[in-house]
Amino acid sequence: MMAMSPIDPGLQEALDGVRDPGTLPMDLREAYARLMGAANLLQTLPAVSVAARVMADIHDLKPERIRPGPRLMRWLARPRAVTLRLRPAWTLALAAGLAAILLISTQSTRSPIPGPHQGVAQFVGRFPGARSVEVVGSFNDWSRGSLHLRDENHDGIWHGAAVLPAGPHEYMFVVDGERWVPDPLAGRYVDDGFGAGGENSLLIVRPAQASLDDDATLR
Amino acid sequence: MLVLVGAPLAAQNGGGAASRLAGRVPPAALPAIDSLIAAAVAESLPSEPLVQKALEGSAKGVPTDRLVNGVRRSLLQLREARVLVGRVMPDQQAPEAHVAAVSAALARGLAPAIVERLLTVAPNEPPGPVLHAAADLVAHRFNPDSAADLLVEAHNKGLHGMRLLDVAVAADHELQRAGGRTHADALARVRALLPNVPTAEVPPAVTRRRTKGS
Amino acid sequence: MVNDGAPSDVEVVARVLGGDGEAFGILIRRYEPGLLRFATRMLGNPDAAADAVAESLVRAYRHLAQCRDPARLRSWLYRITGNRCRSHLARRRTNDISLSEAPPLADASDSWAALERGEQVALVERALNALPAEKREAFVLKHVEGMSYEEMAAVTGARIPTLKMRVHRAREALLAALEELV
Repeated sequence: MMAMSPIDPGLQEALDGVRDPGTLPMDLREAYARLMGAANLLQTLPAVSVAARVMADIHDLKPERIRPGPRLMRWLARPRAVTLRLRPAWTLALAAGLAAILLISTQSTRSPIPGPHQGVAQFVGRFPGARSVEVVGSFNDWSRGSLHLRDENHDGIWHGAAVLPAGPHEYMFVVDGERWVPDPLAGRYVDDGFGAGGENSLLIVRPAQASLDDDATLR
Repeated sequence: MLVLVGAPLAAQNGGGAASRLAGRVPPAALPAIDSLIAAAVAESLPSEPLVQKALEGSAKGVPTDRLVNGVRRSLLQLREARVLVGRVMPDQQAPEAHVAAVSAALARGLAPAIVERLLTVAPNEPPGPVLHAAADLVAHRFNPDSAADLLVEAHNKGLHGMRLLDVAVAADHELQRAGGRTHADALARVRALLPNVPTAEVPPAVTRRRTKGS
Repeated sequence: MVNDGAPSDVEVVARVLGGDGEAFGILIRRYEPGLLRFATRMLGNPDAAADAVAESLVRAYRHLAQCRDPARLRSWLYRITGNRCRSHLARRRTNDISLSEAPPLADASDSWAALERGEQVALVERALNALPAEKREAFVLKHVEGMSYEEMAAVTGARIPTLKMRVHRAREALLAALEELV
């Protein structure tokens, strides 16, 4: 690794625009020119545009695709802190419908109800062209075959939900049976400890029915 | 379809672990991993994190030497976690759940000094939520000491358990807002909200119809 | 940053919030070149940069009402994009750009003047990619995006003295790297 020598303060001032570079000694003027030249080379603008893609995603945000029922509307309308951070646009329209999917499916099938120390975990990932996507993690002993996601619309967006014990769970997506991928929407990641820079996604499942002890404050 | 994922068989002792690992962990790695799990059991450390790490590495196809090292690293983190818990709770044996939670926080990169400080706030409460909240804040580049200050204050104002995760989320949301908010500004705004930070609601995903399983 | 006759950011934001979603296209065309350049310099990968910028712009649209000061829209957009880039880099586990993603090197024995412009760009990019993310970001915002330290503070959330230190260190590292490469 090369050693860095401190730059002359006069050169720093010139680069900060508070000193006329013409007043620098010749050797510093060369360094000034080299750095400014490098910066100019980096100012090349990319030839791509994301405008069409962004406008298309914005159009997809319009609410007419999903008509949530009254109970879901109350949930969506409540101010809440979301554990996921920045989400890609393709998840936005899905998010409003995902809980609706859960509502619909649990009304029409015999699906389990979370117990007092369990909660519902939702998984969603964008894998265009994938043949299968499953979730493998600490909650299923890192075994394959117990939590498959579905892509009913064949648009590359795979989703599913599971009742899990409340608390932290590490997991990954397995795509097409062979590609292990951290969940880009997880928001939390932890080194898997196997020395190759691998990371697991980390999910903290909240109890479906909050304990009275969780919050001593009435809203 | 909502899936019920059954909780994995709890490993009560080394024998239970052996049955879960057989057929999953490569034979070449089994003796070393069994030895590490036995050490955890002998030292009254939770063995489940080691079993999970062995199952994880095996499922991922990690080479034997790195698989064993991964499990060994988990054991070392558990030992370090027990030392930290012991400093906060010197008069009793460190509860396994506390040790496991602290180990997880260390794995997320939370500094031992911050862990110890947060454990001290409420040593008899499950430490997982406050430690994960702190790890979330540090991952979002908040100053660790300032993050711990906020969580301590939130706890003192009645926010416990999962609500402390809401504090971390609120701080991150403040940081994302427009207007050039610094990390310090974001923490100050959340401090001003306490104890009324927004709650992360869980979706109303279930009906009243009871079933006996998935 | 308004050309003669073009609506100001404040005017466009007001139109979008008033229901004219198509007006957001004006802001996209106005800011995406700089945002793409910024993200490309941060991530070292034009495809990843396009994803980051697209996600950032959609997020900005969704949260436009939270832009408290539309006159500082530019800072806000760069802030969102910078956060997105940091998330991408954090998921890579390392904040450095792997050399396998760096552009191919020219023959380093050539004198700088004899290199084609494309080769010069590649050498400078390689030197930039070797910087830690915080210093890379500071140098790019200062010298590529042309921001003042005040605006950089709004974008990064860091204090001005901290940013000056990062920029100064980045300059030192880049000068040393450029002298090594050529």
